[in-house]
Amino acid sequence: MSEQTQISRINGEAPGNSDTDEESAPTGETGGATLDGNDLVLSYPSSDDPVVAGESITARAGAVTALIGPNGSGKSTLLKGLADQLAPDAGSVLVDSRGIQSFEKKELARTLGLLSQESTSPDSITVEDLVYHGRYPHRGFFESVTDEDEQAVDRAIELAGCGHLRDREVGQLSGGQKQLAWIAMVLAQDTDVLLLDEPTTFLDLHHQLEVMEIVETLREESDITVPRSCSRTCSRSTPRST
Amino acid sequence: MPEGSVQDETTSRRRERVFVRVDGSLLSLCLGSVAVVVAGGLVQVSFGAYSMTILEAWRAVFDPAVVFSGQAWEAFLLGGELPEMGKRSLIVWNIRLPRVFVGALVGMNLAVSGAIFQAVTRNELASPFILGVSSGAGLMILLTLVVFSGLSAFLPLIASIGGAVAFLIVYAIAWKNGTSPVRLVLAGVIVGTVFGSVQTALFFFADDIGVVQSAIAWTTGSLTGTDWEQVRMALPWTAVAMLLGLVSSRQLNVLLLGESTASSLGMSVEKVRFALSGVAVLAAAASIAVAGIVGFVGLIVPHMVRNIVGSDYRKLVIGCVFAGPALMVAADVGARLALNPVQIPVGIVTGLVGGPYFLYLMRKQDNMGEI
Repeated sequence: MSEQTQISRINGEAPGNSDTDEESAPTGETGGATLDGNDLVLSYPSSDDPVVAGESITARAGAVTALIGPNGSGKSTLLKGLADQLAPDAGSVLVDSRGIQSFEKKELARTLGLLSQESTSPDSITVEDLVYHGRYPHRGFFESVTDEDEQAVDRAIELAGCGHLRDREVGQLSGGQKQLAWIAMVLAQDTDVLLLDEPTTFLDLHHQLEVMEIVETLREESDITVPRSCSRTCSRSTPRST
Repeated sequence: MPEGSVQDETTSRRRERVFVRVDGSLLSLCLGSVAVVVAGGLVQVSFGAYSMTILEAWRAVFDPAVVFSGQAWEAFLLGGELPEMGKRSLIVWNIRLPRVFVGALVGMNLAVSGAIFQAVTRNELASPFILGVSSGAGLMILLTLVVFSGLSAFLPLIASIGGAVAFLIVYAIAWKNGTSPVRLVLAGVIVGTVFGSVQTALFFFADDIGVVQSAIAWTTGSLTGTDWEQVRMALPWTAVAMLLGLVSSRQLNVLLLGESTASSLGMSVEKVRFALSGVAVLAAAASIAVAGIVGFVGLIVPHMVRNIVGSDYRKLVIGCVFAGPALMVAADVGARLALNPVQIPVGIVTGLVGGPYFLYLMRKQDNMGEI
């Protein structure tokens, strides 16, 4: 199994250092998509210096790729660049050799999903409704819910193991339970590539392992490429679960 | 388990998703609102300068000669020749009722507009006038009344256009490689301050107390003297805005998840935000054209509704369409009858009622401000 896990390092810091965070990128199997970031230079409008200066990353289809680096090394920024949330100053991002810019917005959202570190939602929304939002890119403006949407939502909720939370309001959940609900939402998006930015934040050890297992199940069962990032604690558990 | 029942369950769940769960609280909110509108309407038609008994007035409301007369409705809604009708029916149907209808239209416009702006700016304290609409309209009202008094026949139109233009200015100021809710609100405050100063300055140049009163009535919002003509003016735009508001409730829900999530779900956030703001401005402009700048309704109604049905916009927009008219019609009863025979602008009443209620909500809720 371990050959399915790649580790990419950012800024060349040694892993295991107590400051080290890890982003790992699991990828799905055949049918998943390969994600290539080439010489990416990324910066925010508010700062002069680029946060990411010329990094390249390849997440093979059917594998889990972990991206590791210390706090503030630009892992989240790199993921934003890979997900077209931040336009690169230089470099390119390719999904299965196709430039990410040539995708339509919704088309891209059907191909590549991103779970960011900080997500907010209204408190009174139910977990089920939140997960249904993951179907947004699959629905037209006037289109109502189809069988396919329902199946995808059921499957995502089951995979994320938050069936018991389905009718609860997100505002009443603990940090870890919220995280599971958000994971279910990106799963419902049904994408080839999944970028998870520190998906195990807020989670206790038990749930961290559970998320690792979800990622592993995804890699085994479906066509998903899942780069993700996670914290130091899970960098220890990653080798075990993958 | 027999297959049929599984299928039934699936279909019923789907039906729930399409029509929104038949939600007890939403249903009672809508029914309650309708009751308030009907009650307020009946009070409004019962009193007035021409004295008739309450029974006579109500009989006139349900006068079959008017209610079932195609020609009468044609006259009301399209502006044709009024058919023959009794004097009481004429007074009730041609003078007292239109005001109730205009109030209802204004109420739903402001409520839905406020609800949309609260989602667009992701701030519960947003109102239809947060992005400069009221200051632009107010300035144009003063300009028209004081400087270009020859154009006062077009005042409703000019006021609405002024509001829309101010909104565009706010958007242009806030735009820098895209906008953000905070920048939009700040730009709205800036434009509002500048336009507000100019507007106040213009009051000094009004040489006639009548002009000043008229300006105050317009800038605080008033339903005095509204007629079927105002219904005709507001109805089409209201219908369009309400329809658009209802069909975009899913976009509004996704927008509430925050820009980055909405964008990674494939939404073109800037386009959707601008389009939705446009719908909200259209609704606000329609209400300004017939009633001036009525404050507080657009702030308070979405808030009340959210308190009752939650923040799901599929329910919230529907709730606003009903609750807005309820507040507006009830407030107008006070505006017209409280200090009889003097009528005060309805905006004063909505502020008097809305302020304390808002305070109550603020004390009751722990976390206010964020949706």
